[in-house]
Amino acid sequence: MSIKILHKGLADSIQDNGRYGFQHLGIQPNGCMDLLSASLANSILQNDIHTPVIELHFPSSQIQFLEGGIICITGANFVPVLNEKSIALYKPILVKKNDVLSMLQPLEGSIAYVGIKAVYDSPKWLNSHSFNAAKLKTEDVLPFSMYPSDPIIAMQTLNEKLNHALIEQVHNNIFSNTNPIRILPGPAWQDVNENALYELFNTPFTISAQRNRMGYPLTGPKVNLNIPNAYLSSAVTRGTLQLLPNGDLIVLMADHQTIGGYANLGQIILVDLPRFAQMKTGISFKFSVANLETAQTLFRTMYATF
Amino acid sequence: MHHKIHNWTIYSLGDHAIVFALAPKMHFSVLQKLKQLHELIVSKKINGILDVIPSYHTLTIIYDITLFLSPTQNVNNQLQLFSSQILSEFENKALEQNINDFPIYKVPVCYENIFALDIENISKANQISCQEIIQLHTSKQYDVYSIGFLPGFTYMGSVDEKIKITRHPKPRNEVAAGSVGIAGLQTGIYPTNSPGGWQIIGKTPWKIFDPHPNKLAKFKVGDRVQFYAIDKEEFDSLNEHL
Repeated sequence: MSIKILHKGLADSIQDNGRYGFQHLGIQPNGCMDLLSASLANSILQNDIHTPVIELHFPSSQIQFLEGGIICITGANFVPVLNEKSIALYKPILVKKNDVLSMLQPLEGSIAYVGIKAVYDSPKWLNSHSFNAAKLKTEDVLPFSMYPSDPIIAMQTLNEKLNHALIEQVHNNIFSNTNPIRILPGPAWQDVNENALYELFNTPFTISAQRNRMGYPLTGPKVNLNIPNAYLSSAVTRGTLQLLPNGDLIVLMADHQTIGGYANLGQIILVDLPRFAQMKTGISFKFSVANLETAQTLFRTMYATF
Repeated sequence: MHHKIHNWTIYSLGDHAIVFALAPKMHFSVLQKLKQLHELIVSKKINGILDVIPSYHTLTIIYDITLFLSPTQNVNNQLQLFSSQILSEFENKALEQNINDFPIYKVPVCYENIFALDIENISKANQISCQEIIQLHTSKQYDVYSIGFLPGFTYMGSVDEKIKITRHPKPRNEVAAGSVGIAGLQTGIYPTNSPGGWQIIGKTPWKIFDPHPNKLAKFKVGDRVQFYAIDKEEFDSLNEHL
């Protein structure tokens, strides 16, 4: 007994880093859409980095804490209020027994994370607490346990350890960065005609409202292939840019299927995925081409911070 | 990175995956190679390899950048070295296996009307009797080409040209777990109740996906399957979907 969903949101869930090692059986990885913001919440709370967090989309669930403790909200700014009083993001927040957390308005970004200074006391399935399509429902009780015995002292320690520079860097990287989204070319690149490739990198795209945890459909120029769009299915990843037979593009996200049979034009590099996941519907962005060496160096730099 | 070693093309997929691809065809010999390479890579328990995913003619390795590769050396050089080493070991080890060395799963299917929702449809479209459809569907050994779409969904082929049929243009809202269907030249089994567009010709009493960690998917890529017909009574006695 610990956290109760008073009113369910649109598509909220418990997520961690997801599960690997079972994709050959068709079992999806799942996990946080924006792993960077989720890791940051756990880092601010000095939790193990893999501790499950509550992933909120908008409209978000209304959450009641059945015990006092410490939480931290990162990612999107949905204007969080605790008992109708506004609270800060990216900071440890003290909550009392029966406090209610609500999100008022999607001001910045698309996905908020609520980290909890506690242990999630529920069985994993295949090494992960992330379950495909398991949305939180009204009346669900999430078994977080082992809150700090003295939250006031714990708050002091956490506040002293707060790394403001890191928080600002992560936040800016995700929310104040209007650079193109970088992709590495995929196997079907060679089957796209040159004009279409030019369009792909010179015309703005937006994420359509039909987005969900499986994929983000894009609105923008149609892309055509020189050959029929039918390939023998092969593995796809989070961030795969798939071309559908009608010329539309979709980017596969955390709940993606393990294999795909449509043209694979490229994959968004890992460091740009949190920023892409958080982009709001209808905001224009462009794609650009990355190189493998740079993509991996940037990834190492980003994740070395945790 | 994009290079060739023997019959393999090796390329990076994004910044944390590498693909070993053979020529794109649906064939036992291709699956046999994928299966052997898959087993070799898994047996080496290489640090940082998260997933190895075979499908039709490709084997994709998903890796953790920080564990699989060194930050001090060129990425492409490291990936080339890894792939050439693994393939030379593979070439030395790989024995030409006979098709009969692969186990065949004999899978019961009830083709009676209560389960065979689309068999009449195929019968009309292809001008062939239902009895002939069942006879043709059970007369061949199929290769498992891929597992995906849903956990445990099994893609197999190829069925006889005479029972080839396109998917439903509009998928059904729910297809029952165990349903056996045809799409094009492929035949497949639905692991769980789900929406789906394949033309359903029967149902197996076997549970082909069980979330219990020791069970999971019944079949793997490279396995061989042959169906045999059972009646409703036998279906009920074998039914694992309860």
